Amino acid sequence: MDRIQIPATPRSPEVDFDFAAGRFRLAGESYPEDAAAFFGPLLQALRTYLAASSTDPIVFEVALVYFNSSSAKGLMNLFMPLEDAAEAGRSVTIRWLHAEGDETIAEAGEDFASDFTHARFDLVETAQTGH
Amino acid sequence: MTSDPGGKVASPAVGSPPRKRSLRGGGPLSGDEFRELAGFADASASAPGTMRPGALRGSAQGRDLDSLAHTLFLRIYPVIAIVVLATQIGIAWVNYTDSLRLYTERANLLVTLTAHSIARPDWSERPDVYTAQIQALTLDPAFQFVRAWNAAGGLVMSVGEIPAGRGLELIRASSTVTAAGRAESAGRLTLGLSTEALRRNAEKQALLALGATLILMLAFVLTLHANVRKHVLAPLKRLLLAMREVEHKRWSLVEFDGAVRASNEIDVISSAFNRMVEGLRAGDEAKQLLAELEQAHAKLADANNQVMESIGYARRIQTSVLPDRAALAGAGIDVAVLWEPLHQVGGDYFWLERLDDLSIVVVADCTGHGVPGAFITLIVATALDRLLHERGLRSPAEILTALDEMVRVQLRQDGRGAESDDGLDCGVCIWDPAARRLSFAGAGLALTSITEAGLTRIRGARHGLGYPRHGSTRFTTEDIILDVAPGDTFYLMTDGLTDQMAPPGAQRRLLGHRGVSDILVRSRDEELRRQISILEAELVAYRGLESRRDDMTLVAFRPIRPTSPDAAEDNR
Repeated sequence: MDRIQIPATPRSPEVDFDFAAGRFRLAGESYPEDAAAFFGPLLQALRTYLAASSTDPIVFEVALVYFNSSSAKGLMNLFMPLEDAAEAGRSVTIRWLHAEGDETIAEAGEDFASDFTHARFDLVETAQTGH
Repeated sequence: MTSDPGGKVASPAVGSPPRKRSLRGGGPLSGDEFRELAGFADASASAPGTMRPGALRGSAQGRDLDSLAHTLFLRIYPVIAIVVLATQIGIAWVNYTDSLRLYTERANLLVTLTAHSIARPDWSERPDVYTAQIQALTLDPAFQFVRAWNAAGGLVMSVGEIPAGRGLELIRASSTVTAAGRAESAGRLTLGLSTEALRRNAEKQALLALGATLILMLAFVLTLHANVRKHVLAPLKRLLLAMREVEHKRWSLVEFDGAVRASNEIDVISSAFNRMVEGLRAGDEAKQLLAELEQAHAKLADANNQVMESIGYARRIQTSVLPDRAALAGAGIDVAVLWEPLHQVGGDYFWLERLDDLSIVVVADCTGHGVPGAFITLIVATALDRLLHERGLRSPAEILTALDEMVRVQLRQDGRGAESDDGLDCGVCIWDPAARRLSFAGAGLALTSITEAGLTRIRGARHGLGYPRHGSTRFTTEDIILDVAPGDTFYLMTDGLTDQMAPPGAQRRLLGHRGVSDILVRSRDEELRRQISILEAELVAYRGLESRRDDMTLVAFRPIRPTSPDAAEDNR
């Protein structure tokens, strides 16, 4: 599958879905006017990728500093097939990055983490940046 | 040269004396003036100051331009021809008179010398003395005749004929034969020389002059024509064609390649013309762009006005669905509300109502903001109304469970193929003043309290309401019962309040619950409305130039201290 790379905009995150390497990444802010339209194609691509039988490990990295509730829903939709794949025996790691002391994002990560039982969900605290 | 006073191609500089202007520095000429001066009379437009499309067509076809060469020829050629001819004739005349003088002098010299050489007292009696001398005169190429007379006037010798009737072509010279030492004449000698050679020579010169003038004329015509065509007519024609294009707003420039070399003046004019065209084009493009922009802007403004009017109307509807902020006045509870949609209307909703002495406080954050969010709030408002009034639910957890069901039915999220992926976060508080107890249930929306013990955040259920789910798992949660001490304050807020992004450059992160909590704790002793004002100001300060991300709603409430100390004691 072709790699999906979308540069960040003020309202949507940077997207890098490297299917060949099994690495996925979302970074930045996410509050698009129509979150379904933004996340829909990504979900479609992820599902297609997962449907192709392969056992390559998957690392999905999320480094968002803000996302609205619609985007949270979009993320949830992306995570569900990943959890299903993990249940089917595939190695799936979610890396949830949040800046040190950014409670909001850390808390959101914890919320998401509780939805996973088969996939590995890592809460990764990063050094403060932007000072 | 004095002919053709109204010449068509009179120079613009001198062709309009009353105007007293020249091309250089005389100020701009209007289109009509230029055409008139340039002789393009047929190109004049009907309306002054504007150009009739195609007005330059005739000129561009070269009709007027050809007359330029013609006029130049007519005006310059006669002068040159007359000057050349006159010069030639002058030179020929001088030559002729000089030769004539030389002939005369020669004749005089010859006849004098001969007379001297034969002068003896008895010369006429001795032919051996004079015959050879006089015969020698015939050796002159122009010799015509010679006559010798003795002292008595008798003809001694005659050689050659005196031509009849052509006296003009004859030079006569006479000399007396005077013997040395004697005063009286001993005879006379007359010599006639022909000037026929001289005449022939003059005729030849005249013919040459005429021929030279003719050749000059031919050469002049050819050179003039070629040069005027190359340096003036062809460049002018290009200029006119370009003007014609420009007239139709096709911005073409004049360029001269190898075959056409403009004269300096035309080159300068062409450069000026090109600059003018560039200017016109830029101006025209700018004008066009500006017009398009203005049009687009007007359309946009119009569309925006319509949308804003429509949203303004929607806001009136949404605010009319919201409760009176004083709905709980007299219910023994202080309430302050901040309801601030991001765009006039929004997905945040709150409800305040006093039912059977119970005070009900609901805050909901529906997915999306703006008009889509507002739609969901209407569904929530309707559902809540039915739950409270028709079904009489008084337990926050039950209300949330029922609300979840109703919203999902309403959005058809309970079956397959749901189009809507929407839902809401919701927090419900019910204050029982008699028991001085607050029951709370939350679905993705926490209750924040500030008590003597400090700030607490009670999160309730993590998931929101609505949204299509796998299977048919129902939303369930439990009521959380809180005993309320006097002065305890409670806050239900949507995440738009905590989701304040710091501006770029600073630490790029959300203010978060902790940030908001810190502000609330700092201002805990303030009256509620005042506290909300402080909070608002702090939020503005935190986000700086960064825009808000979401609708924000905060309902703060503080049960009023019971009037009777006993009652307060009972409920501790």
